[in-house]
Amino acid sequence: MRSVFLAGLALIVVACGKPKQEIVVLPEKEIEIDLSQVGRQKLSDYNFFEGPLNKLRPVEGVIPYGLNSSLFTDYAYKQRFVKIPAGQQADFSANDVMEFPEGTILIKNFYYPADFNKPTESINILETRLLIKENNEWKTLPYIWNDEQTEAYLNVAGKTIDISWKHFDGELRQIKYSVPNMNQCKGCHLRGDKVMPIGPTARQLNGDYSYADGKQNQLTYWQSHQVLKNLPVLNQVSRLASYEDKSFSVNERTRAWLEINCAHCHRDDGPAKNSGLFLLASEDNPSRLGVGKAPVAAGKGSGGLMYGIVPGKPDESILQFRIESVHPGIMMPELGRSVTHEEGVALVRQWILEMKPM
Amino acid sequence: MRYYLLLIPIILFSCSGKNSEPRVWQSIEQSLQTQLITVQDGDTIELPEGHYMFTKSLAMDGKSNIVIRGAGMNKTILSFKNQTEGAQGLLVSHGSNIVLEDFSIEDAKGDNLKVSEVRGLTLRRIRSAWADGPKTENGAYALYPVLCKQVLIEECIAMGSSDAGIYVGQSDSVIIRSSKAYWNVAGIESENSRWVEIYDNEAYENTGGILVFDLPGLTQYGHTTKVFNNHVHDNNHENFAAKGNIVASIPPGTGLMILATHNLEMFGNKIIDNKTVGTGIISYELVAALNEGEVEQEASIGGVQTVDNNFRTDSLYNPFPYGIHIHDNTFENSHWFPALGHDIGKLFAMKSFMNPPDIAFDGIADPRRSDRGICIREGEEAIVMNLDAANEFENLKINPLQFDCVGVKVELQ
Repeated sequence: MRSVFLAGLALIVVACGKPKQEIVVLPEKEIEIDLSQVGRQKLSDYNFFEGPLNKLRPVEGVIPYGLNSSLFTDYAYKQRFVKIPAGQQADFSANDVMEFPEGTILIKNFYYPADFNKPTESINILETRLLIKENNEWKTLPYIWNDEQTEAYLNVAGKTIDISWKHFDGELRQIKYSVPNMNQCKGCHLRGDKVMPIGPTARQLNGDYSYADGKQNQLTYWQSHQVLKNLPVLNQVSRLASYEDKSFSVNERTRAWLEINCAHCHRDDGPAKNSGLFLLASEDNPSRLGVGKAPVAAGKGSGGLMYGIVPGKPDESILQFRIESVHPGIMMPELGRSVTHEEGVALVRQWILEMKPM
Repeated sequence: MRYYLLLIPIILFSCSGKNSEPRVWQSIEQSLQTQLITVQDGDTIELPEGHYMFTKSLAMDGKSNIVIRGAGMNKTILSFKNQTEGAQGLLVSHGSNIVLEDFSIEDAKGDNLKVSEVRGLTLRRIRSAWADGPKTENGAYALYPVLCKQVLIEECIAMGSSDAGIYVGQSDSVIIRSSKAYWNVAGIESENSRWVEIYDNEAYENTGGILVFDLPGLTQYGHTTKVFNNHVHDNNHENFAAKGNIVASIPPGTGLMILATHNLEMFGNKIIDNKTVGTGIISYELVAALNEGEVEQEASIGGVQTVDNNFRTDSLYNPFPYGIHIHDNTFENSHWFPALGHDIGKLFAMKSFMNPPDIAFDGIADPRRSDRGICIREGEEAIVMNLDAANEFENLKINPLQFDCVGVKVELQ
């Protein structure tokens, strides 16, 4: 009865506030939908963590990891874990994602600290995405956390969450964070016609991680914990720069940023192969990288510009235009952000500015 | 019950004399998107009668043998008026044998309904519209199957698209029939598609009624089209497409436009009161020339086709129409003047004073094909014009029998 009353009141206010016809949307009824065919209903069902769920304290066999360069998703922080079935090992792959055994689960938590300058305090976890290798295929499962931060529930339809935080500069930021629906997972994770993980490649994992028992290179840690086999000596393993680490060159940092933000599609076997633009850090053909390349299927996304990259001229470069845009029909990447990655686009801008004309 | 009683005086006090009732929508966003993901092969998703508002694109991917059925196009309304995310209203991708029927889609930020890479698609009694009528800010396409095979669109309605209402692109084996398109820039458009039949439709009050286009630089080139028994009338709407898009070059008052395609037969159509031209047959050379100097592309929503002045570098593309057979149609035009705000309109007004052409061919020669097989038999009353556009219209000629020949009979099988 209370809800009837509230809805009625809202109608009156909008109806009489303005002469123009207003739109009133009644809240969606909570409907129980059986998702048992899709996956487990609750994150806690997997027993990845011990203690309060939102502390994300992994049980034995669930290994935290990080990437040298991380995809930008509206400034969300991420905490990643991998669970490889006991007694099994991933096979080292020099140029691609590790060959994980059947039953492997990749766990990625997205969260915002209330104050970015105190990143370990007052954390609000929004979602946890799982990639599970079953029957030799990767399955994508999104879980959304409750407000109490006690549980996350399987949700295939996606959700928009209002989130605010105090940014590095002390300003309050507010966005509508979008949890993708399950179909959208494929937007980034599709390689050919198969879903694939993106992050855990050799060159992304080849870096130090601060484990409970001290800092160590992740690949050697995996090897010593017997979850990785056929690891060559480390100095033969390629390493992607961290785009945040200024000890790397602008070129190395930019190529790392482009790889993790763009190359999941812009690669020979990715969904954007038709564009003729290839942004893996290993790409060494300037034309495939966009230099002096005319757009193929950009449509309005070209912004009336002629080439992907015009050396020395970021404002004449389609690539710069699209990574700066927040228009749904223009912006790149297409999914996963509603705001511009200011530090990232500044880096790319500098890279194009410093690029020597052909 | 007490709460309920409280409400009534408030309504009386504050709203007496006002007659603008708010439109109340329901939300089924989460549950419907969940269903679209969990639906099993062979299932039907029923959309009950009601008005439903969405804030994001709906998407179904990789499903087969699925029916999505509303309670009727005037009863089940899906509105994307509050959309903040995603470019389409409903996006169906991959999979096979998908039937969508008996509902309405309104006001998406980009295309209302896009179907990509589906084999076996039926759109039946779907109404797709931008409810506030024609506007440049409206989405590009109302009904948009692309890269599909075996497509049937019937008894649908498309209204308000800033590009094309019913638009089939890069698809094979397509039937568009018994549908209506009005207040779009292009009513019905078949683009780079093969084995297409367009019949028994009504296209009216668009900028251009029915377009059959073949454009460069896409995954496939179109051919083999039958356009018959359509009612194409009063397509005199101002052109509200965003500049740079290919349909922005359609002059208001265009009944049918045949661009750069081949193997097309057109008969039994009633082409009435389209003030500039009943049917135009043109090459991509003319489109490119008309667009020279225009900004090639401008920022707006979606991936609509734009004019590509680099088409000459596409060696597989033939910019010249050929094998075009037009016969036994009805042409009438009670307008004395074409659309004068457009160069083509001005030209017609000058060269065929107070008698806009029923059929106009640009006359630009194909250097690789002297016999183009362009055959027109519309009787001695028809105003048939050869523009000679390549030579500044020097030898522009009007003669009903100048293209009299035995044309191709288009067979689809």
